[in-house]
Amino acid sequence: MTSSFPGAAGAAWHAGEDLLASYAAGTAEAVDGWSVEAHLTGCASCRAALSAQVDPERLARNRSALLVRAAIGDGGRARRLLRRCGVPDHVVSLLAATPSLRGSWLGSVIAVVAVVAGEAAAVSYGWIPGGGLVAGRPGAVILAPFLLVAPLLVLAGVAAAFLPVFDPAWRLAAAAPFSGFTLLLVRAVCALAAALIPVTGAAFVLPGPGWLPVALLLPSLALSAAALAAATVMDPRAAAVTAAALWALPVLWLASAHVPLLIVAPDAQVACAAALCACAAVLYLRRDRFELGWMR
Amino acid sequence: MTLNVSTAAVRVEGLSRRYGAIRALDAVDLTLDRGITGLLGPNGAGKTTLLSILATVSEPDAGRVSVFGLDPADAAERVEIRRGLGYLPQELGYHRYFTVAAFLDYVAILKEITDRRRRAEEVARVLAVTGLEDRARSRIRALSGGMRQRLGIAQALLGGPDLLILDEPTAGLDPEQRLRFRELLSDLPDEPAIVLSTHQADDIAAICPQVIVLLKGKVQFTGTPAGLAGTAAGRVWAADERDDRAHLSWRGGDGRWRHIGDEQPPGAELVTPTVEDGYLLLSHAAGDR
Repeated sequence: MTSSFPGAAGAAWHAGEDLLASYAAGTAEAVDGWSVEAHLTGCASCRAALSAQVDPERLARNRSALLVRAAIGDGGRARRLLRRCGVPDHVVSLLAATPSLRGSWLGSVIAVVAVVAGEAAAVSYGWIPGGGLVAGRPGAVILAPFLLVAPLLVLAGVAAAFLPVFDPAWRLAAAAPFSGFTLLLVRAVCALAAALIPVTGAAFVLPGPGWLPVALLLPSLALSAAALAAATVMDPRAAAVTAAALWALPVLWLASAHVPLLIVAPDAQVACAAALCACAAVLYLRRDRFELGWMR
Repeated sequence: MTLNVSTAAVRVEGLSRRYGAIRALDAVDLTLDRGITGLLGPNGAGKTTLLSILATVSEPDAGRVSVFGLDPADAAERVEIRRGLGYLPQELGYHRYFTVAAFLDYVAILKEITDRRRRAEEVARVLAVTGLEDRARSRIRALSGGMRQRLGIAQALLGGPDLLILDEPTAGLDPEQRLRFRELLSDLPDEPAIVLSTHQADDIAAICPQVIVLLKGKVQFTGTPAGLAGTAAGRVWAADERDDRAHLSWRGGDGRWRHIGDEQPPGAELVTPTVEDGYLLLSHAAGDR
């Protein structure tokens, strides 16, 4: 066997035993490793020499691991995109197991938003005669269904990201060392963002005030935070239902008074901001409640 | 702070837990050493509650738990316990779309194996240990009951745990699958401490050097399977006919009646008691059957 590069040129060069050994052990310098790989393709004698350097058990383990990776797959376009954006692979896998981030859930959210917003738009543009018109012009009351449903959809997405009933493997997660609070936050934040996109998009095409898309953000955030904070002191399902009621009841009451937009008016925004801060503080202070499972 | 594997695997003192008016655990004291410990008791005896507390999934109302010298009530020590823990709950929950390999990959992440390559190696290792290599691409819902239990063991083995907690691992398996499952447990590498619950005494007799009988939330027996069988020594009579005067009667695997009582029924012969006899006698005394 000739000595290893550098210095050896063209086809006359062969990898030395030391280099092949370090390549087989995975300790070769990167450039040396690439050179060996390029050379091995066209050199049967070096391939044979390399075989003698490789531990058969290690080779079998590597083969099994490769087969496992092939069986797991890369998870499709969305997961590849997230990885390209720099999201760590294991975080992508955790997100993929979140029900409210799966295509079927997001499709349902888009469908509900489309129906509610479409109805308001149809009334506003006169495609549906009569309904919601005040003195022959579209009134704010036609926005009531959208104002009711939009933040609740966001809340539902967040709830589905943390309620055990939506995670069949929650007992395994509760007994695992991975931080339950981190898992909760990663999933909840991504579910929140995923649901806010169609909701905000629909608000742009509605006939309401121009600030409506922005005005929905704070209530949505506050409701989600309220559900999470309440889950540290009560049953998580009850917490989600309570948070939903905190939104639905005032919206319905204001709609019956023909002033539904008051729920997103500046005073309400201040209240939502205060609630968001308070809930975030409670959530942080009681974060340990997310580390011991959900059985209590 | 690490697991002290030279101490008893688990120590429990005065452990109690209620669900409303139901007392699931009532001042339980026990010590579990390395090796396989069987937790025997009927449905509703408190086995799942005890195991979920040992697995740090739920909290007790009162009492102390120590796992390899660490206290699960302390947040940092609880995480350390979980790092050395493999847990198979009574129902293996999984997402509908998971394949075997994807499920194990997911659980490996929850066990903090975040490096993709290491995770694949670890998944391949537990697939080989449990004989599921050929099923890596199969959907979990397409597996048989026995294979799902193997998968449950596989996920519990990820990361090489020091303590395996298996809740009713043989429930729903046919006799042949149960035999294979016992072989799998007996042949596990690295010999972790194993606690498994069951309501079938023959599981205990087959693979557990230690046995604990839990009835109505209380520990009624701690010892060896031979010791459990010995509690019925001199009180088990075999006969071809049923005898109503016995404390209790049941039919053994040979089809003959086994009468447990102090008096010899007519035509019956005294026989060596089994684990089942000892367990039934304890259950009867506790008013559980």
